[in-house]
Amino acid sequence: MKTRRQVLVGLLLGLAVALGGARWLLDEARLAAAQAQQRRQAVITAQALAEAVQRAGGEGDAVRQVVVRLAQAEPSVRAARVVLLDGLRLEASTAAADAGEQAAPRRLTRDEKPLFDQVQRLRAAVDTNREDNAARKEEVEVARRPDGGLDLAAPVLADGSVVGAVLLETAAVPVQAPRVGWLPVLGLLAVAGGVLWGLSLLIGERRLALVLVGAVLVAGALVAFRGFGAGVLGADRERVEQVVATHLQQQAASVFSALEPSAAAAELDAAAWDVDAFRRPLGLAKADGTIEPHAVEAAVAAMVQRWSSFFWLLGSVGLLLLAYFGLGWAEKTWRTLVKHREGYLYVAPAMIAMLVLVFFPFFYGIALSFTGQTIYTTDKSIPEIWVGLSNFVEILGDFNVATRGPDGWTINYQNFYWTLGFTIVWTVSNVSFGVTVGLILALILNTQGLALRAIYRVIFILPWAIPNYITALIWKGMFHQQFGVVNQVIQMFGGEPVSWFEKPFTSFLAVLATNGWLSVPFMMVISLGALQSIPADLYEAARVDGAGRWKQFTSITLPSLKPALVPAVILSVVWTFNQFNIIYLVSGGEPAHSTEILITQAFKLAFEQYRYGYAAAYSVVIFLILFLYGTWQNRVTRATEGI
Amino acid sequence: MSKRVLVLAMAATVLTAAGASAGGIVIWHGYRGEEKTAFEKVVALFNEAMASRGIRATTLAVPYDAFADKITASVPRGKGPDIFIFAQDRLGGWVEAGNTIEQIDFFLDKAVTSRFIPTTMEAMVYKGTTYGLPFNYKCISMIYNTKLVEKPPATSGELVALARKLTDASSGRFGLAYTYSDFYFHASLMNAFGGGVFDKARKPTVNAPANIKSIELLMKWYQQDKFLPAEPSAALITQLFNSGKAAIVFNGPWFLGEISKDISFAIAPLPTIDEAGGQPMRPWMTVEGMYIAAASKNKDDAYEFLKFATDLQAARVMALEGRQTPANAAVYADPKVAADPILAAFKRQVDVAIPMPNFAEMAMFWSPVTTAMNAITKGGAPKAELDRAQREVEQRISSLRKSP
Repeated sequence: MKTRRQVLVGLLLGLAVALGGARWLLDEARLAAAQAQQRRQAVITAQALAEAVQRAGGEGDAVRQVVVRLAQAEPSVRAARVVLLDGLRLEASTAAADAGEQAAPRRLTRDEKPLFDQVQRLRAAVDTNREDNAARKEEVEVARRPDGGLDLAAPVLADGSVVGAVLLETAAVPVQAPRVGWLPVLGLLAVAGGVLWGLSLLIGERRLALVLVGAVLVAGALVAFRGFGAGVLGADRERVEQVVATHLQQQAASVFSALEPSAAAAELDAAAWDVDAFRRPLGLAKADGTIEPHAVEAAVAAMVQRWSSFFWLLGSVGLLLLAYFGLGWAEKTWRTLVKHREGYLYVAPAMIAMLVLVFFPFFYGIALSFTGQTIYTTDKSIPEIWVGLSNFVEILGDFNVATRGPDGWTINYQNFYWTLGFTIVWTVSNVSFGVTVGLILALILNTQGLALRAIYRVIFILPWAIPNYITALIWKGMFHQQFGVVNQVIQMFGGEPVSWFEKPFTSFLAVLATNGWLSVPFMMVISLGALQSIPADLYEAARVDGAGRWKQFTSITLPSLKPALVPAVILSVVWTFNQFNIIYLVSGGEPAHSTEILITQAFKLAFEQYRYGYAAAYSVVIFLILFLYGTWQNRVTRATEGI
Repeated sequence: MSKRVLVLAMAATVLTAAGASAGGIVIWHGYRGEEKTAFEKVVALFNEAMASRGIRATTLAVPYDAFADKITASVPRGKGPDIFIFAQDRLGGWVEAGNTIEQIDFFLDKAVTSRFIPTTMEAMVYKGTTYGLPFNYKCISMIYNTKLVEKPPATSGELVALARKLTDASSGRFGLAYTYSDFYFHASLMNAFGGGVFDKARKPTVNAPANIKSIELLMKWYQQDKFLPAEPSAALITQLFNSGKAAIVFNGPWFLGEISKDISFAIAPLPTIDEAGGQPMRPWMTVEGMYIAAASKNKDDAYEFLKFATDLQAARVMALEGRQTPANAAVYADPKVAADPILAAFKRQVDVAIPMPNFAEMAMFWSPVTTAMNAITKGGAPKAELDRAQREVEQRISSLRKSP
């Protein structure tokens, strides 16, 4: 009885959330469609006006006449202005405030600076889109006023370049969309609940089977709702398209009659006025008031697709709730919270702080990795620039590491797998070097009766104490081809000076030397501490038993060092894997990015190439690699600790 | 007692906050030392002049390396200064990011725009829109040790002959030393041949034939004439010049502060290049511009400051006391400024300088060309390396532009 109730509660809650979310999204989609209709009509009016202004000559009394006629003929227009760049002029205006002394044509006043800036922005947008051959910057700007009306700006061109713009204010009309009631959702809830209860009588108290049935019901309910929503959206759209087409026909007629006496009225292509923000024709409505059926169907399909693109998220949440309640975890959590009330209360402030300072940026970074954000799109919201897994596919799916050319293999150093391989080699060699030399130094320092031990300890700690930024730059100087110390010493011993940063291998040796020197102190300190905690009588007993020095080392020293060294090695691996300073400052990735590690590559992607989304994906990959390593290392060492 | 102190403190903060927003403008800059003192004097003069109109300006010195990021983070969100001063190379990036810099074409008139050296005004224009007024410029010129060089070379032929005479590689003495592998410095040679890295439509032209010719000349200087040091870094050049081991360096005004007191130096314009038909070497200009933040609440007052700070009186203060080279053209006719050899020398140089491109795409360009220059100086073929750099720059730009 209890199991059935838990699963039923989970199912109903999960479905309520999922379907409630879907219903809310549907309402939002219908509202968006209604707003889009209002925008399209306004854009058509603005484009019609812009074309009329262009055909009337761009400036002068003819333009003023055309603007006044068209604005009067169209009830949805509250005010229309024409602003020209040359001379910062307000060429025509039907606004009530621009009468008498303020009548057009006149220079723009200081308060009208934003209008001028907007026209300049449109000019830059049209030029940029033409130069880049891309639709990147908006060429028609539409902004919604608080009272529900729209402010539009559409460019006016002469000989292909922008000379001014038409600024339109539409009347304040609240946009409403019919809402989908709660009936469909409640109906589906009732049906699903009933089916589950009925089946539970047959299946009995088997928890897993009931939860599976619940999961199927969740999926089914979502599919059913999707079908319902598709029908609703389709019907809406048909209606909208007809209204827009009629409006287009009207506008064409208005412009024709406004330009009538002159020859400029000839060959109006009104279908070119129904455009998107980049002035590309939508191809949905025709100038004679009819619609293009295939294009409209495609638009409806796209709308339904967009609406239901979040269904997988809603479905997951629903299934999660079902599982949470259905599998009894909710009950367990509640009981734990009640039992350890005080403990959780004490931990709450720290948990909140962690949430805000650690978890939120972390999850934001993960969300960013699914977008294609660059410096050009920082003001767009995340759903707008969503690209899904394509960043990850681009990183992990690029196997083009080496190509065979006429002179042998050429390696593509910017490839992820080369950088990953190099990072692993870098980490392994550094940690081995650090542990080995650190342990040797610790063993030497640990000898009984060593003179000046304190001074040695201080000297060996120094590489760690000096900021590694400074030491990295000094080492870089030491590897200079002509004046560097290293080459001078080589020459002293009769060798040839080496150009360290010319070949990948010598460059690697340079950074390895620097980081090796830096990582020895840490390992030495850890080993020394662990060595000093080994009781001396173990060695006594071993000597009495006849064990030699080497046997003592391998049987007593090494196993006792393990609990200290293993965490140190994990730390060192993670630090070295992400050792940004040394690579960036000493070799800088030279030659030709062959000595980059993953983290320097991610940095350059974000701050030299400005590809923030791609760099975020790169960092998520780094995190996953280190997370897997940490988990594996933990598992392995716990297994061997008992030996 | 403590409660009263708290109330007083809160009242004080409220009042200062109110004071700061009413008719007060905040200016951020990255200056230190004498530049900072001189700039604060300009601000004080401005406050005096505007006292009757109730406009007050205050400054804040921001550490230079964090400056650009602070602007990027604070201004688009409505915080930050009313005015900030920065080089023009970040201009394109900020305009593309949006909501950072205010367009000022609306305010400009001929009287203001004609007071500047024309190329500095060009540097403030991005995609046909003006975003700031130029404050000062920096460009590299030829700095030489007067003990080693009597008469500075005027052509590349003279330069080569003089440099070879003064070079003794085994003892580490070089006739000419400059960071030739840094493309910013090499650009002066490239521009002499008429090359460039971006054309007007912002398409990269890294491997243009003129660029390749300029690199071939550089390689001739390095490999055949052998008067340039290997692997030049800024630290190396400074050390060579200060120990008298480099006779001539190509460097900018930032270098002057690092020259040791016992080296007597002078500045002359960069030589003309015989191989480029006698064209002068044209260095890239970095122009520091004064911008009005898009989030500012006092844009008109801010523009008043812009006008004041780029006018003759302020330019004289910045030139004589701040040791800057102002973008104001008329200040160089002032007798004190004209008598200063360093300022006069840089003015002569800027007359042939070209503003560095301010596109956002410039940021994509540095890393591939640095790799190319490093490969070329180690013996790589110039054309092949530049072709590779061109491909990489094109690929970076296209992956940036194909954003959804």
